Amino acid sequence: MSAPALLRYRFAARAEALATMRHTLQDALRARAIHETEIARLVLAVDEASSNIIRHAYRDCTPGEIELTVTRARGSLRFRLRDFAPPVDSRCVRPRNLDECRPGGLGINLIDDIMDLWRLRALRRRCGNVLVMFKRLKARSGRGKRDR
Amino acid sequence: MERGIAESRQGDWLVLSVSGEVDLSWSQTLRTAVLKALPGTPALAVRLDQVAYIDSSGIAALVEGFQQARSRNQPFVLLAPSPSVRAVLELARLDRVFQIREQLD
Repeated sequence: MSAPALLRYRFAARAEALATMRHTLQDALRARAIHETEIARLVLAVDEASSNIIRHAYRDCTPGEIELTVTRARGSLRFRLRDFAPPVDSRCVRPRNLDECRPGGLGINLIDDIMDLWRLRALRRRCGNVLVMFKRLKARSGRGKRDR
Repeated sequence: MERGIAESRQGDWLVLSVSGEVDLSWSQTLRTAVLKALPGTPALAVRLDQVAYIDSSGIAALVEGFQQARSRNQPFVLLAPSPSVRAVLELARLDRVFQIREQLD
């Protein structure tokens, strides 16, 4: 049986909807007594992931919606973002070299740094993609890592 | 906190004071303001103490301004970044790239 959701929130895949999503997520995490610094980082990671969905996954089609589900299980927070966009090739979603000083492309690096693990997959039979990100609440390791 | 960008002068410096949350919906406004300001001033400072939130698109707008300024040998500084801005700059390892000051004097 899956853990009960701390938050289920569906929002329009539009940049203007991000602020309300962030505040909703922030409130849900505050209710779980998570440290403010950690909340700020987690909200940033979810916001970056949502921005990427808006900018890239929905780029060539009418913007649809994004479903955010947050659950807590075995000492970890699990953030699931599901979109209804055409399939994304997850091999193209990689962090970039931060030694290059150039605008853009930082979002994946931030997610990678903040989260312990993340994975992106396109839904084969249905339209859309699912990004799942995990963050341990205790015994944190240093850098994030993609599940390859 | 209301989003906004206010301009002021301090000696040779044009200061853009940014407030509110800078995300994908507003970062283009910041980018335009920074790039538009650069040709009209010997030096540009972007004050960030009233920025409650910034994402990578907002950071990208600042990086683009920094690069444009550098190509013109024009001083470009970030002034008094709020803790949330500083945290993102550090995550992106850009705290070593930008010139960051608490004040201009």
